[in-house]
Amino acid sequence: MRIRKPWTEWDDEINFKSLPGAMGVFEIADEDRKTIYIGKASGKSPFGLRGELFLCFADTARLEDANWTHPKMGQVLPTIKEKGKYYRYEVNHMYYSRWIEILTRFNEDHGRLPPANLEDQEDIPKLGKYHWKTQESAMED
Amino acid sequence: MVDFKITDEQQLIIDNVRRLIRDEIRPLEEELDPDAFSLPESEKDRLVGMVKDMGLYKMDVPTEYGGPGVDLVTRTLVAEELSQHRAGLYSPAYGVFGSGPPGQLYNATEEQKEKYLWPVIRGEKSSFFGLSEPSGGSDPARAIKTRGVKDGDDWVINGGKLWNSGADTADFGIVYVRTDPSKGREGVSAFIVDTDTPGFRVERLVQVLRAHYTTELSFTDMRIPKENLLGEEGGGFALANEYLSMQRIPYSATGLGVAIYAHEMATDWAKQRETFGQPLANRQAIQWMLVDNEIDIRTGRWACLAAADLAQRGEPFRFESSMAKLVSTEGAGRVVDRSMQIFGGLGMSKDLPLERWYRELRIRRIGEGPSEVQRIVMARDLLNIRSGS
Repeated sequence: MRIRKPWTEWDDEINFKSLPGAMGVFEIADEDRKTIYIGKASGKSPFGLRGELFLCFADTARLEDANWTHPKMGQVLPTIKEKGKYYRYEVNHMYYSRWIEILTRFNEDHGRLPPANLEDQEDIPKLGKYHWKTQESAMED
Repeated sequence: MVDFKITDEQQLIIDNVRRLIRDEIRPLEEELDPDAFSLPESEKDRLVGMVKDMGLYKMDVPTEYGGPGVDLVTRTLVAEELSQHRAGLYSPAYGVFGSGPPGQLYNATEEQKEKYLWPVIRGEKSSFFGLSEPSGGSDPARAIKTRGVKDGDDWVINGGKLWNSGADTADFGIVYVRTDPSKGREGVSAFIVDTDTPGFRVERLVQVLRAHYTTELSFTDMRIPKENLLGEEGGGFALANEYLSMQRIPYSATGLGVAIYAHEMATDWAKQRETFGQPLANRQAIQWMLVDNEIDIRTGRWACLAAADLAQRGEPFRFESSMAKLVSTEGAGRVVDRSMQIFGGLGMSKDLPLERWYRELRIRRIGEGPSEVQRIVMARDLLNIRSGS
């Protein structure tokens, strides 16, 4: 199952602290609300979902103002930098297996991973199969 | 009488495995996600090569099927070593030692072996085990509702399964089906089911406490050729029972491995960490926790080795196998809990593996037969009550 939440448009004026600092999973979409990236805020993520989403969207100057650091600061994936507009997330302590679940569902529905995941260096374990597609896959393609 | 002395050959094997876990797996793990359950392919291939050089690849495959012929006692000792890392409880050594086919396939026909058993041994196919259903798992003789009806040369199967680890990535599964509703355990048959069979669906990946997910499956008018019946019609449950009892022993020892590593970490910490001017290790409260850890580990180890020894000698081992599972999983849970207490706040964080073991060991008290069912099995033996009454 994908994340069942409405998309939120990124707002550069968003308060950093209004996003959860917890572990979890998130999706980034383009202006057509098509998913371009499926990510996770892991047990190693500084600032949790808050940090991962800021890394995807916020400009570096804003981050420096916030006295904020991330090991991947300034290394936003090209597709996210170019097309990222919306996000949705789910706080989830079982973020790793949930991340794989969302990737597996997307991969089966579309026959490929989201474009920014293909650019990412993150190792993705072997994904399984459901042997069926969801209805939303037809709308997204 | 059990001789618990480890032979020179066993010690050599243990040392080799221990070195690989400590020098290779643990450093690699530092770079992985705290909840990761697999290695990058390149690292996995490299380590599989090292294990093959050691002659320990696919240890549980018998020699007549090309395995290295490692006996059950030694495999139990090795299982205790394999799990001594963060992902070790459910992904011992990240699978670089390879795993054998489901034990039931050794009872398969030659054609079935050719199509399923040998490809698993060669690493070309993987499988899942389909016994539990939403209606229950501890009493499969009664809980299995998935129905198989003979239709010409096929069986038509309808129903579903739950808690099937690896079914989403598997090529086939061993699925238990009620083929005669008028009988209890004798009405259950085992089938080999290819996952690309029309009507086979992974309904969802089920998220649980552990780092890995499991699955829920559905079967809708799934036609399985009669050649895929495994063993005799109505003989499925006996096949599962024998397999589960045997598997329970090394499975129990992996829980102990995690407990050993947690205890080792807690002991080191207790010696280093000072409170109110003295190391934690000087405090009686901490000393007692560490002693209780040691007692739980040794009790579990003896229970596992006693069960393995009996099984290896071909003697009845069902009671001992259940006892090993019960004592080691419950004991390991206590060891990790105490170790977290010794570490204080740090023990709760994802910086250390303790929180992952704490979550995953909780599942161990239920998976592969809950503690209560192990007690039922032992009580039946003690009271000489016929199984299934």
